[in-house]
Amino acid sequence: MIRKELLLMTAPVRDSVEIPFHDIGPASSHPEIALVAALHGDEINGTYILARLADFLRSVEEGNYPTLTLRKRVLIVPAVNVMGINTRSRSWPFDKNDLNRMFPGSPHGETTQRIAYAVLEATKKARYRIDIHSSSADFEELPQVRVYYPTDAEKAGARLFGLAAIMERRPGPVFSTTLMNSWKVWPGESYLLTVGYAGNIQLKHCQDVFNALVTFLGRTGILEGVTLQEGDQGVFYFTRGHEARVYAEQSGMFVSDSQVGRWITKGQELGYIYDSFNGNVHTKVTAPATGLLTGIRRQPLLFQGELLLRVCTKVAKQ
Amino acid sequence: MPELFKTVETFFTLQMPYCENLELRRTVFRFGEGPRVAVTSGIHGDELEGLYVCHLLAAWLEQLHATSPASLRGTVELYPALNTLGIDTLTRSLPVFDTDLNRNFPGSPDGAIPHRIAHAIMGSLAGADLVIDIHASNIFLREIPQVRINQECADKLVPLARMMNLDLIWLHSAVTVLESTIAHSLNSNGVPCLVVEMGVGMRITPEYCEQLVTGILAVWQELGIIAPEVRLTPQLHHPLVADDSNVHYLNAQTSGLFVPSASHWTDVHKGELLGTIVSPHHGGILSQLRSPVDGILFTLREYPIVYEGSLVARIMAVKQRRI
Repeated sequence: MIRKELLLMTAPVRDSVEIPFHDIGPASSHPEIALVAALHGDEINGTYILARLADFLRSVEEGNYPTLTLRKRVLIVPAVNVMGINTRSRSWPFDKNDLNRMFPGSPHGETTQRIAYAVLEATKKARYRIDIHSSSADFEELPQVRVYYPTDAEKAGARLFGLAAIMERRPGPVFSTTLMNSWKVWPGESYLLTVGYAGNIQLKHCQDVFNALVTFLGRTGILEGVTLQEGDQGVFYFTRGHEARVYAEQSGMFVSDSQVGRWITKGQELGYIYDSFNGNVHTKVTAPATGLLTGIRRQPLLFQGELLLRVCTKVAKQ
Repeated sequence: MPELFKTVETFFTLQMPYCENLELRRTVFRFGEGPRVAVTSGIHGDELEGLYVCHLLAAWLEQLHATSPASLRGTVELYPALNTLGIDTLTRSLPVFDTDLNRNFPGSPDGAIPHRIAHAIMGSLAGADLVIDIHASNIFLREIPQVRINQECADKLVPLARMMNLDLIWLHSAVTVLESTIAHSLNSNGVPCLVVEMGVGMRITPEYCEQLVTGILAVWQELGIIAPEVRLTPQLHHPLVADDSNVHYLNAQTSGLFVPSASHWTDVHKGELLGTIVSPHHGGILSQLRSPVDGILFTLREYPIVYEGSLVARIMAVKQRRI
């Protein structure tokens, strides 16, 4: 395993800003798979997962797992927004720009465009490209594979992770500035994993996604010798038509101990909204449909109209 | 004439978590039958020039109404603080939701809060005959008073922009991400919207604001809001036209402290020193920035700290005489 620099840049009052990455496995002109996390500096689940994955693959390379062989080159960037991680900032801390609104970037443009360009150049020719995110700090997402305007290969490939939820998304104009959009210009498959909520590590989610990545590496032949389960039972492909969302009709404090990843039935009690001044319960929040709880609010402070939870049903609405 | 010619109205309300409401407000001047125009500002909470422009416009309308009410017709709406929470908290983006409000248009009646706010703004402006959306750069760069127009809308908007007493019309190419702005959404819905950029974030530049007010009143007179016989301040500014072919960007070649040598809004010559980047740790000069062309220095960095790539200046190569 080699530590390399994706970008090395001068800094105003420090020596430099560096974005390091892991280059693991047999040499080749392009990585077979590129994994990127923490374009947003507060999404540290992805950084933890990818740092652990790099450690695991290094250990495989050193022969500590005699049954496993790394067959292809793997590129891992545990954190793009290095300064954001270190200063607990979602955006690029200096000018507050969102790095995932700067793609495809430019080698001669703004600082964040240069970072975006470096990330894209290093990863775009990989056959598989994976960008790991979390939701905001306010909302917990069940670890899920997101596909954007997916090709048939991506619809099939998304199942190889073995995560319960695959979400198809067809976002608006802002998507044109994301890493995912820039990747999709190139041949290959692109996946976004959304894991839990930002600002902290949710260990169970991270373990599930770590296992999902190892499963994916096994099923694609990048890592040989992985013990794999047959088939993809328990994997569900959801579009917006499968979603039932609950929004807060009133503001207050939302409290819930419901866990994402549970199958729930319509009408099931999932949480309460309290009046945050006088303490009265003013809303009992219930499941809008029978299905998988794929997301729920974790920030108690609630504006009127904010999203409380999302249930995905097995059958799409007509 | 209605008894109350001026009202401050709340057009969107949302309960906040603890006791307060998030309210979007507009000031509406009603002068009877006639066209309907609007001015919006503060969509970025650190851009304050437009708030002062709204004040100056309100003051001008109140004074003319007091002395010559028959000289005014139609409806004028002022939306000085679209990102009201951002202005209250010195935040460029929408606080709590951590998103650029001007990347959430046209919005939707349900869904995420930023989309709901955008939808409410769109609803409030629907049917207007002209909207002027005033921006004030950001804290990093100072801009001369200018109008920015998507080339797709040039035919319709450039004639109006020429009346605005500004110094530059910048025609920019269509970019997908800008489809999520208020201006694009309004223009797409048939509501003409001009985007003004001027000054610098977190400050007001009174002379720029007064210059723009002169231009806005001229446009309103042309549209019939102000009677033709009302004598307005003469226009002293006439715009140059820039497009992607004659705007040159200067980005910092290294990180450090940028110290300008040239003054903003001056003619510069090819090779002229515009500023230096120095290190606070030692006495040497890290980088010199020189103009790549003969032109006008219309954007100049105001905030001294730069990273590699930070925009330091924009120069418009002059390809036509002032008109």
